[in-house]
This record gives sequence, structure tokens and C-alpha cells, in this order.
Amino acid sequence: MSPQQATGPIGPMNIVGHNVPRIDSYERVTGRATYTGDVRLPGMLFARVLRSPHPHARIRSIDTSRAEALPGVRAVVTHETHELIYSSGSIAGGRQYSDAAKDVTRNVRYMFDNPVRFVGQPVAAVAAVDRHVAEEALELIEIDYEELPFVIDPEEALEPGAPPIWPEGNLALDGSNQARPSGGTSGDPEAGFRAADQVFEDRYTTAFVQDGQMEPRSALAQWEGDKVTIYTPTQGISNCRHDNARDLGLEDHQVQIICKYMGGGFGDKNGSYYFDLIAATLAKEADAPVLLELTRKDDWLGTHGRWHTIQDLRVGVARDGTVTAIGLRAYSGMGPYLRRSGGISGTDAYACPNVERVIYPVHTNRMVSGNFRAPSDPQGYFAMQSMMDDIAYKVGMDPVDFTLKNMRRPTEEEPYTNYSLEECITRGRELFDWESRWRPEPGSDSGPVKRGAGMAFMMFRSGVGPSSAIVRVNSDERYTLFVGVTDIGPGAKTTMALIAAEELGVPLSQVEVVWGDTDLCPYSVGESGSRTTTQTGYAVVQAALDLKSQIAEKGMPRGDDVLIASATPTPSTQGMRRMCFGAHFVEVEADVQLGHVRITKYVAVHESGRILNPLPAKDQIRGAALQGIGQALHEDLLYDPRNGHPLTAGYYGARHLTHMDVPEIEVTFIETDDGFGPYGAKTVGEAGIIMGPAAVANAIFNTIGHRMKDLPITREKILGALA
Amino acid sequence: MDGKPENGDNSGSVDTSRENEPETQRESDLTRRGFLEGTGAALVVAGAPKLGVAAIPPATVVEQEVAAVPKTAIRVTVNGAQQRVEVEDRWTLNELLRDHLELTGSKIGCNRGECGACTVLLDGEPVYSCSTLAVWADGREIVTVEGLERDGDVSALQQAFMDHNAPQCGFCTPGQLMTATALLDRNPRPTADETREAMVGNLCRCSNYNAIVEAVLAAAGTSGGAA
Repeated sequence: MSPQQATGPIGPMNIVGHNVPRIDSYERVTGRATYTGDVRLPGMLFARVLRSPHPHARIRSIDTSRAEALPGVRAVVTHETHELIYSSGSIAGGRQYSDAAKDVTRNVRYMFDNPVRFVGQPVAAVAAVDRHVAEEALELIEIDYEELPFVIDPEEALEPGAPPIWPEGNLALDGSNQARPSGGTSGDPEAGFRAADQVFEDRYTTAFVQDGQMEPRSALAQWEGDKVTIYTPTQGISNCRHDNARDLGLEDHQVQIICKYMGGGFGDKNGSYYFDLIAATLAKEADAPVLLELTRKDDWLGTHGRWHTIQDLRVGVARDGTVTAIGLRAYSGMGPYLRRSGGISGTDAYACPNVERVIYPVHTNRMVSGNFRAPSDPQGYFAMQSMMDDIAYKVGMDPVDFTLKNMRRPTEEEPYTNYSLEECITRGRELFDWESRWRPEPGSDSGPVKRGAGMAFMMFRSGVGPSSAIVRVNSDERYTLFVGVTDIGPGAKTTMALIAAEELGVPLSQVEVVWGDTDLCPYSVGESGSRTTTQTGYAVVQAALDLKSQIAEKGMPRGDDVLIASATPTPSTQGMRRMCFGAHFVEVEADVQLGHVRITKYVAVHESGRILNPLPAKDQIRGAALQGIGQALHEDLLYDPRNGHPLTAGYYGARHLTHMDVPEIEVTFIETDDGFGPYGAKTVGEAGIIMGPAAVANAIFNTIGHRMKDLPITREKILGALA
Repeated sequence: MDGKPENGDNSGSVDTSRENEPETQRESDLTRRGFLEGTGAALVVAGAPKLGVAAIPPATVVEQEVAAVPKTAIRVTVNGAQQRVEVEDRWTLNELLRDHLELTGSKIGCNRGECGACTVLLDGEPVYSCSTLAVWADGREIVTVEGLERDGDVSALQQAFMDHNAPQCGFCTPGQLMTATALLDRNPRPTADETREAMVGNLCRCSNYNAIVEAVLAAAGTSGGAA
């Protein structure tokens, strides 16, 4: 396949492109699917973690003697007994993040640290014969804390005199150990602002959003000699193995990671994390298998969520509506430890060449921030596309026309493997019936229940890259596919099987998948960055091609013989940008007396290349769009500034969406084959969450005539704006 | 679009009095041990309980090594089979099912009555098994997700869940299935709105709510997705 075939109508295939029920759906509806917390090993112990009650405090002493004396307690670990550093620092840890970078950032990957730097930080862990005894033991651990000054707000944290969370200061160190903002300058922003007829400035803020996957983190570790097996929910068993091996002072082959079914991840379960290390350490101390279970509150405060941001935007516009310059100065609240960059996207969706971005990732004494589905995007797109929407009205343009005028397009210097953003927008406008739903005069309905419409668009990387697959055939013509994937929700196991069946030209029922176990499967890139289908799926195609040619050459194996093919392709787009595209159109209804907002229509148009399995692909978009709506209207983690304590941890406090809160999401895919990935498949999983906050906020502006600049857009904020 | 019915705006009206307590104290609030002390004068059962399943090692160890905790013998019917079991008074129904009867289908998402992943049927009514004590099930009938099949065939609802991709990660699925089973038992032809209302206590963070409702309506033979 060559890129020149790109964007033409796609041809029908045998299995790919048809609705294929998941090959493990029976296990999923009968309770037979085994998640980490369902595994039971003989003689296993249960572990619990004690957490800091203070936002910032030095531990003067820890006395665990009473806990250790409690009958049934088998091991207690603290910072005094073990120095443990976990290594996942980038998107999925493992090979994506160099060992050199890990050494540099070692000090910000905590486990049992002293001082403690947020409410919920682990300070000790106990393994006992059952979870009641473990919980009781936690209460017997006596800790003498010296409370320290704390800071919750990222902007305040950078002010002179703010309590220092780290000796180096509160601006997070980057991968080169430098305290400097991220971002950069392209073009000539100063000249761009000079060329503008009008310059607009505004501040937008977004809230912390917990990933909140239904399955809390857990880890079950079992040692056999100098080899440890860890059952753990992770978005990437290969990377998880590498990181855990490094942290435990072992070679990769001495660590086995098992994760088949997993109760959601959304970035919360990227790579390894401290739970694996605690379970492995306790299991070694106790000489027994140990299951560490995080409670929901442990999980809420002791993992991570999307970084909250403060974004000051400055946009220059010429009289004809052309954006001439964009300036972004922003703060990302990272908590006291760095799980991820704190980046903010959104400016790059516009063609404007003159851009200056200055982003400060800031340490605070809140809980840690990290990856959540499209980690840098919904918050960046909310601010940027709210700002642009606002400007469209101010220069007297329809926001859709303003978008079509200013959005980024391919250029000779910057080619794309294919480009369909304009088609997504025009198709969405038509399907949504924009002209009849959008109010040229915002807030013009008579009320008290008003309606209006808004939209947002996006492009998101859909890269290609290395991963591995092995496929084997025996004399019964049964094919076995070995792939190191985990099924975190989108259906990776089924996708890999149907790609193999398609390429091999056999029914799906002839393909068995071996997955989720590092002792059995080759390296896989991991279920992060929406890469499993595009990268591991492509490796499956290549392995199947190899096997087919072996069969053609040697014939089917006979007797006990088998044929085996493996592939680790390293595809490249030869410098072209490979992106997926989308546009969301939203109509809302707002009761201006009650402040109540309800979504009455939601149209999502996406181009994600060829859709391999339409039903689950549609549900990826629907679910992601609903998570975006949650971020727009509901979710937050509020802190009490007086004592540094989180106030709204948990599903109830954060008001995660329920069955009653959700509209129907209407999904349309524009399908293409750009010649890359497996049969032209691109990214799906993360794409759907990016536009919701911006599209909903823009629809609210069109409905009530007030620009809502702070997420989440709660009832009280709407009533405040209208008051 | 404004949250759960009883749940006010999260910045204004939340009762923060408990949330302000230190983490360790909050955790101790959630510990059932103290709360349950003395709730049951144990009915001592002579001889080992006949569970009909393999004994689970942790429970055995506890009996030998840990100070005695109050226990009660109860009689429950689980997925059609009557059983006599001795339970610690502090056990939740979910602990009994998952840790001691090897029925790990019902999940623990929050263990505090927020998410519904642990939903089972108690005398036909959906209950959060994390917030139901095992002793309260004495003399009653429990159905879990493992009990939905009949003679090796999945129920119409399970089949619809498979056909409509209702599970994404699948962790909430057992709870969604149990609540929907109870709904269809009492209302075989629900509307989409009735379905959403009945299932409001079952969260899905994959947010596959559209597909779940479509599956329930398809199982009921009503038009999938129609409002």
C-alpha cells in the first residue's frame, strides 16, 4: 500500500469493517472474565496502605510496633524499611522513557516519601491474613508529623515566598532536570500582534478530573525464588514489566506481568505504579502472595487525574477575521510529583503561524496529576476554542465560518497522509442542522428555558510505530496469535483476532489469541496513546503476511509440526503528519431561572481512517464524548484552602455522569485508507473526548449569552453569570 | 444535565464536615469492624459449614490466628442452591460471595454505595452487596451474575448485552445486568426513560450508557435507542 492510494473510497473486506461481536463477550456477561482482584492464590495475604492526613508534613517518627504485634499481621513497610522509587514517568513508562531520563527525575517519583506532600500520599503498608486485620493494623501505626506550610493554587505556588515543596522550587523540573516552562515560539508573534486589527485577551480555567475507572488499582504479587509474578491492571504489560524489573533490581525475565481483563484505564493505569512495588515488597517480606487492594478513596486521591489549568490567552485578529497571532501563558497544576508533562494543546489546530506558548507545570500540595484520555487536549481545546468562538461573535462571524477560515490545513512544507477536517466540519454542520439550531443573537430566546448551539473541532496524532506480534499455525489449521495486549475496554483482543483472520483469510473462529501475559507474549506498545490498533495491529498484519508466505512455500504443517511467524515492523510516514480529525456539534437547553443545563442534541463526526469494527468504535466515541460532557458540566476535585484537604473525592462528590444525565450521542465516521496502520485504521479511543468541553461551553454561550470561562460549568456558575 | 438527583452543586452545598477530617480518620470510618462489634451474639454452628465449594484459605487462617470475632450461622440460597454458612458479623454480602463462595462476578468499584458494580438480587430486588451485611441475607435468596444462565444458555438480556457491545471494560457489567434483570422482571416493556431511571445507581465510567440502554430495550423487545 502506498500513501498515493489515500482518501479514496475504501473497498469492502471480509471481516474488517463488519460488526464483529467481541470474542470474549460471553465471559464479560457471565462474570467469568477474571480481573486482577478476582485472582485467588493459596495462602495469599491482603494489604492496605496508610496515607498522609496532611497536605505537607515531615515525619518525625513512625512506630509500627503495635501494628506488627497484632495477630494476623505478616509484614509492615515504611520509608524507614524500604527505599522504593517507581519509574513510570512518561506516557507509558518502559521503553518510551529512557533510563537516563528516569535517573534525572528519580526524586519526583515517590513511594513512602518524607516529607509527605499531599493528603493521600502513602506512608506505610501492611499485609495481613485478611483485609479487616490489615485495616485494623493501619490504625495502630503511630506517626508523629511536623506540619509544614502548604500551597494549593499553582499560580500562588510560583509567587515569591510560597511554601517550597521541593528544594529546587515549585516549578517542575523537565526531563533534562531544568526548571523552565514548556512551550515555545513559532513564527513571529510580535509581528503577528502588530498586524492585528484587534487583540483579545481572556483567562480560562479547567478543573482537575479524576480518571475514575471503575476498577480500583490493585496488585497481586507472588515470588518464586528470584522471580516475581505480578497480576496488576496496567495499560501495557511490557512496559510495566520493564519498569518493575528496574525498580526491583531485577532483569526483565525475572518479572512476569499478567493483566487480561481490566476495568478501565483512561490513562490512570499507564505503565507501572507504586502499588506493584508495595505488593512485591510485602510479598517478599511475608514470604507469601500479597494482594494489595486500593479502596475507592485510595484510588481517587492516590493515583492521578487530568491536570487542572489556568490559561491566559491573547489572540490577534485582522479585520477579515484572519487570526494573526496567538499567545498562551498557562499554569498546569501537577501536584507534588511529576507523572506527566502538564502540556496544553489546542493552539496547533489553527493555521496561524505566529504562536507563543509558555506553560508552567507547577508543583502544589494537591494530589498528583497525570494522564487521562488525551492528556493535554480537552482542557487546551476548551480554552482555545472558547476564545475563538467568542472572537467569532465579536468580529461578526458564524463560528463555523470562522473555524473554516482559520483552522490548520496541509501545506507544501507540512504534508499530511490525508486530511479530512473540513469534511468533518461541513458534514457535522449538515447532520446537525446548524442553521436552524444556532442563534445568530446569543441568548435571544425568550426563556426561561432557552436553546442554542455550539461546536468544536480537533485533529489528534495518529502515529505509526513499532510493536510486535507472533502467529503460529498447526496441522489442524488452528491459528494462535500471541500479542502483548490487555483488554482495557475498547476490545483489543477481538481487534487483534479479526485483523489476523482478515489477513490470513480464515474465519475468526480459527484464530485463538494469547494475550495479557509477559511470559507468553512478545513486546507490545501498550494501551495508551490510542496506539494498540495502529501499532500492534500493524504488527499482526505483518506477522500474518509472513506466515502466509511460509505456508505458500512449505505447505501447511503436518503432524506435530507448526509454522511460526513474528514481526516487529517499524513503519514510518516519511515526514508526513498522520492525524485523525473530528467535529462535535451540540445543542443545549438552559433554564435561566434554575441554572439547569441539558443537552438536547449531540452530533459527533470523526475521521479515524478505516473503522475495523464499527460497533465498539462507535461506543468509544460515544463514551468519550460523555466523559467530555462530564468534564464540561460536572467534574471537579475541590480543595479547602484553609487546610489543604480534598472535599469532593469519589463518584458522588465529583458528580460523575449517571444513566439519567446522558444524552444520546449520534456518531458518524468518515472512512478513508491513507495507506498506513492496519488497513488504514487510525486513532479512535482518545479522539472523542477532546471536543466535548469546548462544544458544550460554546453552546451554553449561544444559549444564555454569557461566556462561561471556568470548568466545570455548574448550575451556580450559570446563575452567578446571569445574576 | 445536572448530576444525580439528590446531589447538589459540588462547590456550594456539599456537606464537608466529614470530608475535612484527616484521611486516616475517614478510613477508620469506613472500617466495619468497630461498627459491627456486638451486632450479633454468634449462633455457633457445630461442625464445619458445608459450602458446596472449596474452602478458601484466608478464612481458615483467620480462624486459627486472629482473635475471635463474632460469627453467625446463616442459611442462604445462592443462585438456586441452598447453603448453610458461618459468617463473620462484619462481612458484607459481597465479601461472602467473592471471598468465601468463589463468586467473583460481582465487583467492588467503591465499597461505599456509590457505583453499583456490586449489585446482586436479594429476594429479587437489586441491592448493593457492598452495603449489605452477609447476616442480613439469612433466610433469603441471592442471585448473582453467575446465576443468570439457564441450562447453559445465557438470558435474553445477557445476549442483548453481547449483541449491543454493552460491556466496554466490563467491570460495571455484572451490576448493570442485575439491575436490568430486576427491572425487566417487574416491567417487561420499559421505555428508555424508565430504564435510565431504574439504572441510575449503576455507574459506567466508560460511559457506555447509550449502548447499555439499547441492550436492555432490545432484550425487552422494544425499539433500541428510541426515547
